[in-house]
Amino acid sequence: MPPAGGFERVKYKRNLPLRGPSGVVILAGVLGVCGYGFYRVGKGNLEKRELGREKAWSRIYLVPLLLAEGDRDTYRREQAAVAREKDIMAGVPGWEAGKKVYHKEGLRGPSRIVVL
Amino acid sequence: MSNTFHDPSTSDQPYKDPTPLPESIPRVQELGTTSAYLKSAAFFLGAHCKEFNEDFMLCKAEDRDPAHCLKEGRRVTRCATDLITKMRENCLKDFDLHAACLEKNNHEYYACRKPERSLNKCMFEKLGLTKTIPGSPEGKTPIHLVEKPVFTTIQK
Repeated sequence: MPPAGGFERVKYKRNLPLRGPSGVVILAGVLGVCGYGFYRVGKGNLEKRELGREKAWSRIYLVPLLLAEGDRDTYRREQAAVAREKDIMAGVPGWEAGKKVYHKEGLRGPSRIVVL
Repeated sequence: MSNTFHDPSTSDQPYKDPTPLPESIPRVQELGTTSAYLKSAAFFLGAHCKEFNEDFMLCKAEDRDPAHCLKEGRRVTRCATDLITKMRENCLKDFDLHAACLEKNNHEYYACRKPERSLNKCMFEKLGLTKTIPGSPEGKTPIHLVEKPVFTTIQK
């Protein structure tokens, strides 16, 4: 005979605690984070290009100034070298001070610079 | 002429150049500005001395011989000296701050936007010079005006 008040209800419902966000949510989250990262990388690449341009132009603008200063110094050293050569070779007849060893037109920089 | 090295700072005589430029070349005082200040002033130098710089570079393109462009070179140096003097007169504080910042940050512009902006503002107000980077994409904020750049220093 059944007990008074009937049988207890059969416990058929599964007891599963919440297991966190679903796979779809995690996938969407990962894609979102990666997407934001790649967006920043792309932005950073564009920015890096502009920073490089800025640096290049800052140097381009300084070239004439530095070159002018260097030219004056090179010219001074060349003149000094010729004067020195003239002085040293004064006793040698037919010696041309400062004569280049090459006959071809066009600039060849001084092969060595004497720093005095 | 002697071959031993004499440290000029310990000498009791003022340094005398043993081989000065020939008398026929007019004198020009060398600029002598250090690298951080030059980097800080580079874009204003390009804007202020454009004609002299271009003239000099065209002359150099003609002939690379150092003796060929001495005159144009003197003009370039005089113009640069003029600009640096003006900057020192008008914006010395901002100029110093920006140069010091560059010196501290490996001469990277992106690390020194704050002092750079105050210097640019001062330069525009006092001397009317603006920093422009040629070749920047049209219609976009130039890199030195971007408010929130990706590349910043790690420490603020």
